[in-house]
Amino acid sequence: MRYSSNSDLPNITLVSGPCGAGKTSWIRQQALAAPGIYLSLGAESAVDMAYLTAEVPDLTVLPTSVLSASVQSASNLSKLSELLEHPPAEAVYIELSPQLDLNSLPLDLVTACRRIAVLPPGLRQTRWHDWTDLVVTGAEITGAETSLLSSPPLWNRVLTGQVFDLSSLNTLWYELTQGAYGTVRRAKGIFDVADGRALYWTFVAGQPETAYLELNLPRWLQGRPERFSGLEVVGQGLDQAAVAQTLQDCCLSEQAIFYYQQQVKDLLAQGEAA
Amino acid sequence: MKIAVMSCIHGNYEALNAVLSDIDKQRAEQIYCLGDLVGYGPHPNAVVEMIRSLDIPTCQGCWDEDIVEGLNACECSYPAVLAEQRGKLAHDWTNQAIYPEVREFLAQLPLSLRDDNLCFVHGSPHNQHEYLLPEVNAFVAMERVLATGADVLFCGHTHVPYVRTLDDSQIQIRVKQMQNPETELQFSTPLKRIVNAGSVGEPRHGRPNATYVIYDRDTEQVTLREVPYDYQKTCAAILEKGLPSIFAWRLARGLEFAERADDPTHVCER
Repeated sequence: MRYSSNSDLPNITLVSGPCGAGKTSWIRQQALAAPGIYLSLGAESAVDMAYLTAEVPDLTVLPTSVLSASVQSASNLSKLSELLEHPPAEAVYIELSPQLDLNSLPLDLVTACRRIAVLPPGLRQTRWHDWTDLVVTGAEITGAETSLLSSPPLWNRVLTGQVFDLSSLNTLWYELTQGAYGTVRRAKGIFDVADGRALYWTFVAGQPETAYLELNLPRWLQGRPERFSGLEVVGQGLDQAAVAQTLQDCCLSEQAIFYYQQQVKDLLAQGEAA
Repeated sequence: MKIAVMSCIHGNYEALNAVLSDIDKQRAEQIYCLGDLVGYGPHPNAVVEMIRSLDIPTCQGCWDEDIVEGLNACECSYPAVLAEQRGKLAHDWTNQAIYPEVREFLAQLPLSLRDDNLCFVHGSPHNQHEYLLPEVNAFVAMERVLATGADVLFCGHTHVPYVRTLDDSQIQIRVKQMQNPETELQFSTPLKRIVNAGSVGEPRHGRPNATYVIYDRDTEQVTLREVPYDYQKTCAAILEKGLPSIFAWRLARGLEFAERADDPTHVCER
């Protein structure tokens, strides 16, 4: 990813771009150097929020509930106006979902903020080019010029409390990203697995497959996890019922969760004793 | 004299028909089947009727056993919960769909077949559930062949065909018993082979094509055959019969529906 710096940067940065281009990754990179506040507008991504919370502990991720519900519809941005009137000292990163109409943003917000568009290489003359101060070259996306510019539907499922069998999860992820349940252009998820880890999975159509990332969170070994996990999918013709069924079929029973957690606790205790 | 060996048809009648036609063209004089006639696929009765009507010597596969005995294998069958859910679904569907006489036929199938120096089993000579993968260590592989007394062991179950030659080798074993001195034995074995026939109806080699093998008894030559067929017909039948659509998706890509055990040489303790 290439980024051209600007010496006169405002404190508030709006980050936009098509899904899968790397908006959240860019914000993570910036926030590691200059942590501050993060919030998202439009179809918010709970997965992104949980990912940034885990990966950048010094970043304050504002949950949706902090903002008025209507902010998320982008028709009423009064909370953001408040933010502009009383800007915090630290950096503020506002991620705009691809589904958000950039023209719906209030002019005072747009003009007071630094505008960054994270775009795939080679993309030209889009609505983001008209809008942005700076183009950051993001990840390559197959078919970016066509399907990604029209906002494909987003499907999500909160999975908090569920514990997944990793082998089954691998099968599910393969099937999901290879088109078994419809055309998927973008998928990201956070899943708690049997050994207590929380794993972050990401997929962008056309990009090389990447391994899941173990999030910087403590192992959850006391029953059903009470932290966020979930799946978000962008694509077309998604058989939502089939995905939901497969997700359910990958989950461990109460008994199995207890069994595996006990095993991990025993192993960790042995390691400490040694 | 050529023989044909096929395995793991899994209720895929279209694939079976295509393989039988190809066997005709290869002029094989005898056909052997290594079991798993049913399970996952939409036509279990038709497949069994075809095998019966052609009087093809067949040994019992793990799916055939499960349909007769019920799903009471130990945890080895399904190492992942998703595979278990799908396997149970396929089992319940097949269990309801098959005719009583088909179940009776599956029940009387032998666990192994023998023809001179050739032996035929589904998984391994020890168990229908055991996987003889190509990478299984040489000692285990040799032990499995020696256990049969044959020179060539034909198996299936892995859904990926292969030929493994176990060269003339020397086996050294050390026996240690309580209160007895340790003894060491050495013996030589002649050349042995393991031939895996792959799968007719549920391949796992990345393409939907059916696989089986031709063995020439005179030249001892093994030919792995890959046979294209109209897999879309089977996919359509899967959907029509109300089986999960993911079975059709996986079949069309040469991906097996379930997955093999974590420990492939684990012997089921049912």
